[in-house]
Amino acid sequence: MKKTILFLLVIVQSNFAQIKHSLGKVTVEELEQKRHPIDSTAAAAILFKTGVTNFAYAGNKWEISTTVKYKIKIYKKEGLSLADFAIPYYSGSIGSEIVRFTDAYTYNLVDGKVEKTKLKSENQFREETNANWREKKISFPNVAVGSILEFSYVYLSPYITNLNEFKFQTSYPTDYVEYISYIPSYFAYRTFTTGYEKIETISEDINGIDYKEKKVTYSKNDMPAIVKEKFVDNIDNYTSILKLELASVKYPNREIENYSLDWEGVTKNIYENEDFGTELNKNGYYNDDLDLILKSAKEQKEKIDAIFSFVKTKVKWNEKRGIFCKDGVKKAYKDGVGNVAEINLMLVSMLRYAGIEANPVLVSTRENGLSIFPSRTAFDYVICGVENNNSTILLDATNKHTVANIIPERAINWVGRIIRRNNTSEEIDLTQKVISNNLYNAIFTVNANGSISGKIREQFSHFSAFEFRNKYGGLTKESYIENLEKRRSNIEISDLELSNMDNLENPMVQNYSFIIENGAEIIGNKLIFSPLLFYATKENPFKQENRKFPINFVYPFLDKYIVNITIPDGYEIESIPEQSAAIIEGEQVKLKYLIEKAGNKIQIVYRFEINSALISYDYYDDLKAIFNELIKKENEKIILKKV
Amino acid sequence: MNSNYCILLFCCLLNLSVAQKKNIESSEVPENLLENANSIVINQEIDILVKSQKSYTIKKYKKIKVLNKLGIKNIDALEYYDKSSKINSIKATVYDKSGLRIKRFEKKDFTDVSVADGFSVFTDNRVLYLNFTPSEFPFTIEYESEVENNNTAFIPYWMPIDDFYESVLQSKFSITYPTEMGFKFQEKNLSGYNITTTKTEKNCNYVAKELAAIKSEEYSPSFAKIVPKVVFGFDKFNLEGVDGLATSWKDFGNWMNSNLLLNTDDISEATKQKMVEIVGTTSDPIEKAKIIYNYVQNKVRYVSIQLGIGGWKPMNASDVDRLGYGDCKALSNYTKALLNAVNVPSYYTIIYGDSTKRDILNDFVSMQGNHAILTIPNQGKLYSLECTSQVTPFGFNGDFTDDRIALIIKPEGGEIIKTSDYNERNSKQIQTGSYSVDQEGNLKAQIKIQSTGVQYGDKYFLENAKPINVSDHYKSNLSEINNLKLDKINFINDKSNYQFTENLELSAINYATFSGTLIMFPINAFNRYSSVPQRYRNRTNIFEIERGFYDEDVIEINLPTGYVIDGKPENSSITNKFGEYRTTIKGISEFKINYKRQLLIKKGTFEKEEYEEFRKFLEQVVKLDNSKILLTKKV
Repeated sequence: MKKTILFLLVIVQSNFAQIKHSLGKVTVEELEQKRHPIDSTAAAAILFKTGVTNFAYAGNKWEISTTVKYKIKIYKKEGLSLADFAIPYYSGSIGSEIVRFTDAYTYNLVDGKVEKTKLKSENQFREETNANWREKKISFPNVAVGSILEFSYVYLSPYITNLNEFKFQTSYPTDYVEYISYIPSYFAYRTFTTGYEKIETISEDINGIDYKEKKVTYSKNDMPAIVKEKFVDNIDNYTSILKLELASVKYPNREIENYSLDWEGVTKNIYENEDFGTELNKNGYYNDDLDLILKSAKEQKEKIDAIFSFVKTKVKWNEKRGIFCKDGVKKAYKDGVGNVAEINLMLVSMLRYAGIEANPVLVSTRENGLSIFPSRTAFDYVICGVENNNSTILLDATNKHTVANIIPERAINWVGRIIRRNNTSEEIDLTQKVISNNLYNAIFTVNANGSISGKIREQFSHFSAFEFRNKYGGLTKESYIENLEKRRSNIEISDLELSNMDNLENPMVQNYSFIIENGAEIIGNKLIFSPLLFYATKENPFKQENRKFPINFVYPFLDKYIVNITIPDGYEIESIPEQSAAIIEGEQVKLKYLIEKAGNKIQIVYRFEINSALISYDYYDDLKAIFNELIKKENEKIILKKV
Repeated sequence: MNSNYCILLFCCLLNLSVAQKKNIESSEVPENLLENANSIVINQEIDILVKSQKSYTIKKYKKIKVLNKLGIKNIDALEYYDKSSKINSIKATVYDKSGLRIKRFEKKDFTDVSVADGFSVFTDNRVLYLNFTPSEFPFTIEYESEVENNNTAFIPYWMPIDDFYESVLQSKFSITYPTEMGFKFQEKNLSGYNITTTKTEKNCNYVAKELAAIKSEEYSPSFAKIVPKVVFGFDKFNLEGVDGLATSWKDFGNWMNSNLLLNTDDISEATKQKMVEIVGTTSDPIEKAKIIYNYVQNKVRYVSIQLGIGGWKPMNASDVDRLGYGDCKALSNYTKALLNAVNVPSYYTIIYGDSTKRDILNDFVSMQGNHAILTIPNQGKLYSLECTSQVTPFGFNGDFTDDRIALIIKPEGGEIIKTSDYNERNSKQIQTGSYSVDQEGNLKAQIKIQSTGVQYGDKYFLENAKPINVSDHYKSNLSEINNLKLDKINFINDKSNYQFTENLELSAINYATFSGTLIMFPINAFNRYSSVPQRYRNRTNIFEIERGFYDEDVIEINLPTGYVIDGKPENSSITNKFGEYRTTIKGISEFKINYKRQLLIKKGTFEKEEYEEFRKFLEQVVKLDNSKILLTKKV
């Protein structure tokens, strides 16, 4: 009875708000429309998307119900993919979620009249993706260019801690999008909206029979399509999406139950979880082994190094993410395999055992998007942090090539959160600060027949070295040479020496001799060649006119080339490139090209530096311009003339 | 009594094989099997027991030593299943490098997932697979499974080396069958390997020993074409409960007609009438077919649905008519029904759809193929219709179905055909136009590009592409021109002649480089070949140029005023078995030169010894395509 009243109340209100955006009102004009009035290139558009979330208490538990309505217009054949729609849902310990499609119709214009075709059960499919995930799929019948599709679905979930996010923006333009949440006052959800578009938000309190509710309405007219660009960490970070996170539960006459109201609460809550705190505090399983390897380690650094490399060799990552252990640290230790939590919590535990103040650092990976507000569920990865005076050493033992403060790209996503034993926590900047040095030393001779031969030494430090080891670590020498010859535009390589592949503390170094048969072009009595050889970048990666997102280079780097050239007897230098220097405002990107000649020798010292992993889109034009200068300088030629 | 006897016999067999396995464990892996290997199959035994036309059991045993991370994918500890097959047992055991058992997996430890690999694929096929992360290398894994299957239409083939970088110490295969089912097999590439075979009336066995790992190399033909492979089949088979006959293509086609295609072309009188109306007074069958095909392309979309017999039998044409979607079988069959309504005969066609060419084995009558299209015969010509595409022109194959053997199902039975080959002279790109370079080194150009054949197939998507994708296409195709600006773009898609025309006006600042009083730029601005094949110190595989093409560029170059030519590339001409390359510079004046370039690449398969010559040829082409013209300031 009470439930019915609540429902009535809701229906009345939503009707009031949604007269304009209700299903079943397709007009001839809409069907006749040939292109989207604002974004004429759009292959389809979402004419409206509305969502309403309600809570209901029944049978001793809460259930969240979200009803979403869509109206879609297809303008071009490429937009037909919107006629197939799927929703994954979860089935787990406290029950299965339910997805039900209703009111699904295809509308077409037939002989000037609106004709509708119903989506029936034969157009619906259910799939058991794996043990915990299911998927409901629908395929609209009778869809062609010009069609309008309408449908609604209800998503029922008993998991109140995981309120689904709501996407306001997609790769198609949306004329109107609206989301209304009615949340009982017992529950406090923290919300955050990503993206650049402004979403109008109205909040009001409503008195129900049993409890008060908070109604929040989010809406936006004319939401543009989101377009992907290069050097973006995760497009979802810049897409308008509402994220909700259960912060606390407070029933009448009961203590407040904090889930993630503040960072202290989050920390406490995570530590209290048995798949985290309990696992972290286990230590009996490794004592003997660890005592042995700690015997010779005296200094803190030695201890850290010894334990870090021990964990890396002992337990391999099974590619599974998450901040909680699955099979537990003991089993991971025994089997030599574990997820990221098992590996890195084991690492934290071992370091603590050795008397080092180590703590877990929660991270949201690049694929997972940003962790913006105090939250348990926003994180999907955990690494280890050792605080030392004012700095923190970050360790991730899931990859055998990592060293202190070099963590895999997946984990470098703005900031993480170190959570300490005493329930305090602090934001940790994950951005790579140390500049990776890429040094290229080439000494070569240009021969009168056009061939170029010489020796090269290349050295890569920090993150560059890490990437190098990950890419080429497993290759045999023969395949590596073939690979390198291909990367260096089919030169012929001999006497290759690779050093420090396993010596992680030192830069990667490679030395080799090379010959390029057609290195210099002979035109008449002239020899023309590119002094930067195969190093010359051919293409500016920044091609779009403008940009809305920051440019993410993952790590800062310096490319430095020292080139010494000997020209053949009987030739003189006709022309060489000019010196050049360029810098962008704020000095985050610098270029310097120096060239000198003396007798039959030419020397070039060329540096290109990006000293910040992230560059604001405000500098996009400057960055594009400096890359143009880079392309120009790197491709400039030296011309020799027969005497 | 009987069953006891069976159990006893089974135990004996088991003991015997265990004893053999031990033996292999102790034997050393020869040095040559370690070369290029990410994994070594120590022993593999596959036993297929065909009990009747409606049932067979496949038992697998595989012991594989995985040497590194890349070898993990060769474990293949997985079995597919669906409504007509059942996994009786599946298990695996892992041993560390010293031979110590470290882990055991029972059936419940395998992961069960749907094989749907993306949206709009509905299927009831599932897979049970082993999800295992090794903690160290090398390790050895033993895998055993037994699967019962009702579909004798598909007997697994035997391919002892089933991937690059995998060597085999020993691999055995055995198939036992009732004689009356009409057993057949076909062997490929067995010679030159240590493979022995014994055959009786009821049984066929293979043993392969010491097969070295094969390295993947550029221009290698597809893996399955170069390794030992034996395929098996039966004249009498079962498919999802339906008995089938495959004695000849004619019989097989008739079986398809009466079992899979019969009554699936059931369109309503109203729809038939509508087809007659839209065709109107057109009488030429091909013209009529074009109208119908266009109607289909605007009405339907591809949605793959593979449920039970639906994996082989097309959905009814009346359902496609009503729903407006279907898979390749359904859409081909639907189009056939519509063509029938206007008296244009067409044939349901089975083919392997892939950008790597693959033939239906024409001398091995059996269920084959992974795709369906429609073939219209007309005056000795065959027109292929790709019914899953909304944009492919009428009769155009593209690189998904071109130049390969296919099976057409005529009313009187099956027949083998070959689809269109657009090779070499038929896959052309003709570029004409002019460009100018001014005193600041800026480029301005007007070019017309006409593409046909497979080159048409690479281009026609541009017509419907978003402006941003069009611009990306040119920026990546002409990536060596920095600062490229597209001033004007116009496309003409001549669908009836499969010819795509691009009319472009473009410009770029700083195209030429200055060096003192000199100015230079590559003479070939728009069509530079850039990828030199990989050099191999020891090429091990034969190589294949799968598709040929011909490019011709005739470009007038307007020179900046105030400059004279200081140097220019020589004319060049190369002809060999791989193709031809020719450049000429003519009509030189103070203001302009005319540049002509021709590149012909021929399709073919060549010996490994010829690879270096081929590589050198393309290296030469890349170099000549980058040749520069040098101008100096007039004094």
